[in-house]
Amino acid sequence: MTDAPAIAVTVTTPGNLAALPSAPVLGEALAALGWRRLETFGCEGRRVERLHIGSEYCERLIPAPAELETAVTEAGRLGAALTLTTPMAGDAALARLRRLLPLLPEGSEVVANDWGVLRLLARDFPALVARAGRMLCRMVKDPRLPSETWGRLYPHGLGASPFVTLLGRFGVRGVEMDVAPFARAEDFAHTGLPVALHVPYGSSVKGRICRPGSLHQEGARKFAPGHGCRLECLDYVGEMRRHGAAGLHTFQRGNTIFYRHSKAMEETAAAAVAAGSIDRLVFSGDWNENHRADQPG
Amino acid sequence: MKITAPISRVEEADVLAAAGADELYCGVVPEDWVDRFGTAGVSRRVFANLRSYAELREAVRRAHDGGARISLALNAQHYDEAQIEALADLAARFEDMGGDAVIVGDAAALAVLGAKGLALGIHVSSIATCRSAESAGFFADLGATRVVFPRHVTVAEMAAVAAAEPLLEYEAFVLNDGCVFDEGACLTLHLPGKLGGPICLDRYDYAYVRTDGRDLDPDERRRAERNEAAYESWLWYRFGCGFSVTADGLPYGPCGLCALAAMAEGGVGHVKIAGREAATERKRRSVEFVREAIGVLDSQGRDALFDYATNRRGEPERCATGFMCYYPEVLPPIPGSTASASPARPAPERRGRGA
Repeated sequence: MTDAPAIAVTVTTPGNLAALPSAPVLGEALAALGWRRLETFGCEGRRVERLHIGSEYCERLIPAPAELETAVTEAGRLGAALTLTTPMAGDAALARLRRLLPLLPEGSEVVANDWGVLRLLARDFPALVARAGRMLCRMVKDPRLPSETWGRLYPHGLGASPFVTLLGRFGVRGVEMDVAPFARAEDFAHTGLPVALHVPYGSSVKGRICRPGSLHQEGARKFAPGHGCRLECLDYVGEMRRHGAAGLHTFQRGNTIFYRHSKAMEETAAAAVAAGSIDRLVFSGDWNENHRADQPG
Repeated sequence: MKITAPISRVEEADVLAAAGADELYCGVVPEDWVDRFGTAGVSRRVFANLRSYAELREAVRRAHDGGARISLALNAQHYDEAQIEALADLAARFEDMGGDAVIVGDAAALAVLGAKGLALGIHVSSIATCRSAESAGFFADLGATRVVFPRHVTVAEMAAVAAAEPLLEYEAFVLNDGCVFDEGACLTLHLPGKLGGPICLDRYDYAYVRTDGRDLDPDERRRAERNEAAYESWLWYRFGCGFSVTADGLPYGPCGLCALAAMAEGGVGHVKIAGREAATERKRRSVEFVREAIGVLDSQGRDALFDYATNRRGEPERCATGFMCYYPEVLPPIPGSTASASPARPAPERRGRGA
């Protein structure tokens, strides 16, 4: 019998933490964030031990200092540990992170999706615990792949000793992963570091240019590097239907395309959990598709 | 300002060096790699690579004979452990051939190559998505000698990085081949056209829905329709206006010629022509176009460069949209232009697949 994975929930909008009851179990937390139906791998009644705050994908979703302070307070009320999730970052975003990171309690986690962020953490914030996010833990995650053969074209290197050594140089204590299309349970077994597995979505591709984020931009300001936005990603999801071809259920949220796990992928995740390969299950909380309207009745 | 240009066949080394390229870059898929790993994934591009060590050696010879340096792309997103070892062997072999630099996209592979102490430059591929001084410092610590900025970085952002890490060289895109997403954060494949091509050009219907479950109101619907029309137009520009060229063979966007002056002032010393998979003639005309633009800048200055870059193709209205630009922020407002409205693509051409 192996240890059960810890349970974490992501919250992109810190204000949504107020909706959660104290010391929530997973089922309560997901329901409070609007979910009505989600595979929980038998963990529905387990305590939510950790909250992942922030965004892996967009600099514009980095919390403001006041929001992070609120999140720290709320995490205390909820009895959960805190992880700040950070995106790929240019200099402007790194400047914001330099102001934000001192607000985290010692021992808090930071998920880095950018090598520059990781370097900053290791050098200036050694009291924080670094984890390597899904953007650093690269693997083929194309939701359209017709067969397993395509996924093997570029094998991932999460278990490669040069990668593990590199992460070790920067004090990384764990990696974050998706269930890739045609993944096998053993893919999670040899990473060399504890694995946090995200469910029920994988991310396939991220841009700096944001399609929904251009909704309120005009002319050449649309789709331009570093364009502004009104955080349209919080209000809209882009439904993507691939006609005439197979593929996983796919949608766009903000600047990123996601796929939802198929039944077979859920079974792979469950097998990896049963094998003890997963250190933490990270459930997507308020960053999801249109789950309300998608419900029957 | 130095020009870096792609080759996919050894003969192109002669052609592009003669056209004015200062540096060439290429990929190679040696037979022993395919035999060992069962894949052609040595670099980000499975196609348009040299096919053997002999061809690679010949490309090095021809590049140097033509007065150009040559770099080898080893820039897949990621490799497993055995592949990283093979990559180090390949880099050492390239060093023996007299090659000048390797272009690397995977941080772990770069760390291994940096520790080898090879007499090769190590260029951080755009695949590595290095767009901050902190990230540039990270790669410099591992042994990198140059950063190739990814697409979708502004010239001001590049200049800030270059000022903060002045010991590195910097290279930026100047012509051909756009990406819709961040190439370094694209974990999909460019599938064959019959399987959908790149995901950004695949056959998806796209519809906005509200996260609160409400229907879009009429204003939201109109705004979404306008955005989608503009997005379709942007995609067409992004992929070279349907991969078209002028009557005399100059490629349409993406283009950063107007930004050459700002890039040079910002510490970017090398500009990259993308498109390993393009035809030789397109590559040749691309090099000549950039060489001519640099000449105009050097001899006549920034204003003349802007006039040249926006008028040389004979369709300045395309430039005025901003959608054809790598660096639209350097584009000044043109009196009377329609740049404040959503740019429309001007022709009934169909955008292609398989970028």
